[in-house]
Amino acid sequence: MGNGDEPLSGTLASHLPRSLKRLWVIPAVLLLVFLVYPLIRLTATAWTADTVNALLASTLWQVVLLASVQAMLSVGLSLLIGIPIARVLFTYQFLGRGFILALVTIPFVLPTVVVALGFRSLFGDLIPNGLLLVVIAHAYINIAVVVRLVGAQWSTLDRRMEVTAATLGAGPMRIFSTITLPALRNSIVLASAVVFIFSFSSLGIVVVLGDGSGTRTLEQVLLRSTSVLLDFPTALAAAILQLIVVGLVFVISARVSRHEPRTKIILERARVRGPQAAFVVTATCLVAVTLVLAPIASIFWASISSSGGLTTGWWSGLSDFDNARIGSPLEALGRSVGLALFTSVIAAILGGAIAIAVMSRKAIVATLALIPLGVSAVTLGLGILLAFSRGSLDLRGTGALIPITHALIAVPIVVAMATPSLRTVDPRRYFVALSLGAGPLRAWWTAFGTVFSGVMLAAGGLAAAVSLGEFGAATLLSRTDSPTVPVQIARLLSKPGESAFATAAVLSVILVVMTMSLLLVVDRIASRRVFT
Amino acid sequence: MSDAGLRARDLVIGYETPLTQPLNFEVGPGEILVVVGESGCGKSTLLSTLAGVTLPLRGEIYSGDRCLNDVPIHKRNIGLVFQDPLLFPHLSVIDNIGYSLRASGQSRDEARARSQELLDWVGLGNIVNQKTWELSGGQAGRVALARAIAAKPAVLLLDEPYSALDSPTRMRLLADVKNLVGLEKIPTIHVTHDHGEAQLLATRTLTW
Repeated sequence: MGNGDEPLSGTLASHLPRSLKRLWVIPAVLLLVFLVYPLIRLTATAWTADTVNALLASTLWQVVLLASVQAMLSVGLSLLIGIPIARVLFTYQFLGRGFILALVTIPFVLPTVVVALGFRSLFGDLIPNGLLLVVIAHAYINIAVVVRLVGAQWSTLDRRMEVTAATLGAGPMRIFSTITLPALRNSIVLASAVVFIFSFSSLGIVVVLGDGSGTRTLEQVLLRSTSVLLDFPTALAAAILQLIVVGLVFVISARVSRHEPRTKIILERARVRGPQAAFVVTATCLVAVTLVLAPIASIFWASISSSGGLTTGWWSGLSDFDNARIGSPLEALGRSVGLALFTSVIAAILGGAIAIAVMSRKAIVATLALIPLGVSAVTLGLGILLAFSRGSLDLRGTGALIPITHALIAVPIVVAMATPSLRTVDPRRYFVALSLGAGPLRAWWTAFGTVFSGVMLAAGGLAAAVSLGEFGAATLLSRTDSPTVPVQIARLLSKPGESAFATAAVLSVILVVMTMSLLLVVDRIASRRVFT
Repeated sequence: MSDAGLRARDLVIGYETPLTQPLNFEVGPGEILVVVGESGCGKSTLLSTLAGVTLPLRGEIYSGDRCLNDVPIHKRNIGLVFQDPLLFPHLSVIDNIGYSLRASGQSRDEARARSQELLDWVGLGNIVNQKTWELSGGQAGRVALARAIAAKPAVLLLDEPYSALDSPTRMRLLADVKNLVGLEKIPTIHVTHDHGEAQLLATRTLTW
C-alpha cells in the first residue's frame, strides 16, 4: 500500500495515540472562542434595521460594482503578465529557473502598503493615484498566483498532446488556443477567482494608491465605517456583501471549471534548444526580473535619495523621527517584531494541533480553521475587538488582540501547508515503529516528528511574515500611539513632504528585508525537513 | 491517399551524441516498416526525428521528393500515435478525430462526416459525443488511430501504440492498423520491442 494511501490513513486515524486523538478539542475550543464567537458577537451587535437599509442602499452596491470592475481589470492584467512567465518557468529547464520562480513569488508576500509605496515611488507623477495604478499594483502582487497555479497545471500538461496536434496540422497559435489553453482552463479559472477576490477585497493598495472614490472597496468602507464613522450596521452590511461576493466567485469558478480526471504526471521540463527558444526564455526572464525588482529598487532609491542628491540621512535620522500623530518608527519596528513573534508562536501551536486533528479525521476543526479565508481581516479584527473589550473578557490591555487576529488570518495558510506535508509521510512507518515496541506517542513522533516539527517551524515563520505585513486588522486594533510598521507607513504616506515619504521608504526597505529573510528561512526548513 | 512514401538518407539520430549509425530506409504506400529494438536504443527518437520534434544530427528525410528537414511539424502531414492515446480531453470523440480536418480549413460538417465514417470503420459509430475519459483503453486506441489517419497523412508513425493494453486487445487493434493502412495506402513506421508484434505487422523490419 502506497504513501498516503487512503485506507491506510483511515487505519492510522483509528490507531493514533489516545492523547493525540483527543487533542482536537483544544483547537476546536480556541477557534470557537476566538473566531466563531467574535463573528457571532459582531453580527449580534451590528445587525439592526440599519444593516438591512445599508444592504439595500445604492451606496454599497456602487462600491461592489466599482470594485468588481477594478478586480476584473486586475485579473486581466495578472493573466496577461503571468501566463507567459508560467509557460517559460514551468515548461523549460534552464540555469536560474528556481531563482526566477522565487523572485516572482516575492510580490505576493510583500506587505501591501510596501507595494503601494513602491509604485507611488516608481511612477511619481507619471501615473496619478487612481484605477490604473491600483490595477497595476494588484497585477504585480498577483503575478505569483497566476504563475504558480497555471504553471503547476502546465507542468502536468503532456507535451505529446501539443506534438500530436502539430502532426495533425495545427500551427503554434492554433495549438495554443485549441489544446494548451483548454488544458489550462481549470487553473486559469482558479487563478482568476483568487486574483479577483484579492483585488476585490484589497485594502492597503487602495488606501495608498486609490483616488478615494472610483477605487473604493468594501474593505475600505468597512474600515472607515468602523474606525472613523463608528457606523457598525454599514460595516456589517459591507462584510456580508463581501462574503456573498467571495462565495459567489468561488461557486462560479467551480461551475466554470471542467470536471475531468486530473493528470498526475509531472513531466520533465524541456531544455532550451535553438535560438528562438533561447530568445523567448531570456526575454521573458528579463521582463519578469525587471517587473518584480523595479518597485522594490524604487523604494530603496527613495530611502537613500533626497532633493539634494544621495543621502544616508533618512536612515540615520530614523531614531530622531518623531511625530505625535505618527509615532516613533523604531518603536513601531520593535512592536511589529514582538507581535510577529507572538503571532508565530500562537499560529504554530494552533496550526500544529489542527493538523493533528485533521490526521484524526476531525473535519470540523479543519472547516473552522478555513473560515478566515472568507472573512476579511478587518471584519475579523472588528469581531475580536467587540468580543474582547468588556468585562472579564477585556483583552485590550494585554496586547494580545493583534497577534490573535494575525494568527487566525495565518491559520488557513498553516493548515494548507501542514496537512499535505504530513500526508507525504508513509503511515506504515508508524506501524513499523509500533511493531518494534515503541509506545504510541513515541511511534507517532518517530514516524511524523521530523516533518511535524519542520511544519511547525515553517508555519511559525510564515505567520510571522503575515503579521509583519498585515495592514487591515492592525489599523483597526492598534492604538493611535502604538501603530505597527505597515500602519505607520500608511500614516507617513498620508503626510506631505519629503521627510515623511523617505521615512516610509526606509521602513519599507526594513520590512522587505525582514519578510524576505523570514521566507528564506521558511523555504529552507520546508525544503529540508518538510517536503522530503 | 499517399502514393509517395517516406525515405531516410544517411540519417543519424540522437540529442547530443549519435544513437545510431547512418540509417537508410524507405517505406512505400501501404507498407509497414517495423523498427524492433530494446528500450533506450533510440526507436522513439527515430519517430520523434521523422515527425520533426527532434532535429536529426545528420542526413535527410524525404516525403516523395520533398525534403522534410526544415519543414515544421504541422506542415509535414504526418500521423503520429504514441504509447498512450493522448486524446484531447476537452473535445468529444468526434471532434478529436476531426481535429486535423478543422486545422486544414474544412468546415465542421465536412470534418464530422469524415470522422463519422472513420468511427464507423473502427466499430465505434455509437460513441460520437462521448467524453474521451469514459472510453475503454481499446476504444481510446481506436479513436487515436482514426484521428491520426483522418487527414490522410503522408506517413503514419506508431510509437509502441497500445502497449499499455492487454495482449488480446492490442493484437485486435494492431490487426485494425494493418487493415487500415493497407486500405488507405499509408506508408507506416511502427516501433516495438515485441518480436511477435513485428511478425504480425511487418512488410519489412529495421534493427540496429
